[in-house]
Amino acid sequence: MTGRLSLLIRLGVRNVRRQRRRSFLTALAMGLGVAVLVFSRALGDGAHEDWIQAGVRLGTGHVAFQHPRFQASGKLEDRLSSEAVQTALTALELPEVREYVAAAASRVELQALANSATAAVPVAVAGIDPEAERHFSQLGDKLIDGRYLESGDRLHAYIGERLAKRLDLDVGSRLVLTGQDATGEIAGQFVRVVGIFRSGLPEADERVVHIPLETARTWLQVGDAVTTLGVLLESGWDVPEVVGRLRVQLVDDQDAVRVLGWREAMPELDAAIKIDDYGDYIFHVILFALVALAIVNTVLMSVMHRTREFGVLRALGLTKHQTAWIVFSEGLILTAVSGLVGMVVGFAFTWIFFRNGLDYSFAFEGDFEFSGVILDTIIIPEFRIMQVLQSLGSIFLVGVFASLYPAYRATRIDVAEAMKFEA
Amino acid sequence: MNQKPVAAVRTHDVWKVFEHDGIAVEAVRGVSIEIERGEFVVLAGPSGSGKTTLLNLLGGLTNASRGNVSIDGRDLTTMSERQRAKLRLERVGFVFQAYNLLPVLTARENAEFTLLLRGMPEAERHARVNRLFERIGIGGLEDRRPAKLSGGQQQRVAVARAVVGEPALVLADEPTANLDSVSSAALLDVMTQLNRELGTTFVFATHDAALMERAQRLIRLVDGAVASDRRQDGTPTA
Repeated sequence: MTGRLSLLIRLGVRNVRRQRRRSFLTALAMGLGVAVLVFSRALGDGAHEDWIQAGVRLGTGHVAFQHPRFQASGKLEDRLSSEAVQTALTALELPEVREYVAAAASRVELQALANSATAAVPVAVAGIDPEAERHFSQLGDKLIDGRYLESGDRLHAYIGERLAKRLDLDVGSRLVLTGQDATGEIAGQFVRVVGIFRSGLPEADERVVHIPLETARTWLQVGDAVTTLGVLLESGWDVPEVVGRLRVQLVDDQDAVRVLGWREAMPELDAAIKIDDYGDYIFHVILFALVALAIVNTVLMSVMHRTREFGVLRALGLTKHQTAWIVFSEGLILTAVSGLVGMVVGFAFTWIFFRNGLDYSFAFEGDFEFSGVILDTIIIPEFRIMQVLQSLGSIFLVGVFASLYPAYRATRIDVAEAMKFEA
Repeated sequence: MNQKPVAAVRTHDVWKVFEHDGIAVEAVRGVSIEIERGEFVVLAGPSGSGKTTLLNLLGGLTNASRGNVSIDGRDLTTMSERQRAKLRLERVGFVFQAYNLLPVLTARENAEFTLLLRGMPEAERHARVNRLFERIGIGGLEDRRPAKLSGGQQQRVAVARAVVGEPALVLADEPTANLDSVSSAALLDVMTQLNRELGTTFVFATHDAALMERAQRLIRLVDGAVASDRRQDGTPTA
């Protein structure tokens, strides 16, 4: 059996080598296709990682702890109690979770109205811990005037440039935030602008207001509670793993605290990335189709050219199945060689030319905002074992399917007629 | 009571009808022959007389439209495609006009192709091929690819491939047609010798007068039917 298989594979290998030019050109086309695939996936994943990173920093982090009803209601009555926060923090300290965590920050979030002497604008107020937030949202780095919030601040606010313009505020100006507190009453909080930022993101620049966490707690009468405990991970790829582990850990506390991955916590960002993913899938499908056509063309041409030879093989006693296997193995060999060469070329190309990032800032004036997130105009390619295995698996599947038809054609040869065939 | 030995090949009222543009062409018409083991038989006749079609029927390469064909007492017409392939692998050897060696295999690999498919151990395969190559005068050419062999040498490799598995029957379609007279005579010597020494049954389709002269039995076909069937030594045919 082994000897038979080895003979059929040997025949396949030698037949691929027999039409050197044709095989080389096919392998070249396939290899280039695979190289483009590897390159585009690395860049695409790099862009996504950057996108997600920017999105989650401005939002609730890679992982968010919230009250089970908070995401739907957005109300303070659905807040995390101090015990629930402590439970979540304890879970984050577990050895199997701690290694993934980069930063965590507690927030009290509320939709409110910002009033100045000249206007009133709806805003998203976040009561934050300045030290924790400095590593989290990095909004402090977008400062254009004044300073970011600091520990010990009390009646201070950090606002966006557009909001400052709409309310006619400068550093040192006063404004009043009005919202519904935990008791259901409308409550106001006086604050003074301590710093103004420009994120480049119109929505954030017009709506986000950071105030000290303690100020928010007092104003809204939530005691030691928070609405969200956001967690940043070292890598966005680890979110499913970490969320899974945390959920297992907090299974007995699910009435008090819910663990959300960023896709659940920020469905708009998730939807935008999925749409972008679909675009990539379509591109990859087209690429795979071209690779498949190259294989079908080469192997089928080879089958047509060798009609008499297949007739001889059948006359000598090969079954249809064995004849098909020879053709099939030729397709697989072409796929394997081209796939591996394409992978190596793709990785090498990406590594040599783009390891420090692909700078496409020339295409944009100012910031590149997409789907509510400011993206870096330098994409750092991302290589992951899973991505490599997926690409290899996909190419292998394409090779398998593309080789089936020529193999089938080889079984349809009329043996007696094939003997008359002149190549 | 003496039982009659099973014939190497037997056909009974076998017909092959092809459809060409809606017209039925009777390539083989009611042929009934019986070829005994060890016979050296030539199918002769003009072009279009049905020699190759009959050969294809005998080898199970094409299905009979009517009638029966059996090899070693096994009826091909009732067999599945897979069973026929197995029978060809184990009991039938083919030699073609255009040699039809596999160009990507060496002479040895071509010759031992069917043995390998039958799962014979390497040492035994090599020993058989070496012996046969020496016997038919192509010893030392084992590792050459067909493109590096002359026409006569290629056809000898093809003969080796056909007989190495000790089949019940070797079918040869115009085996000398592409050879010069010297190579042709040498090849006929080889096949005659194998027939005599190994008892291999040969059935040829040919126009070659030299081959007809060597035949023990000559079957003439005209318009797909047997016009005459005689043994050179005068003994009656079945």
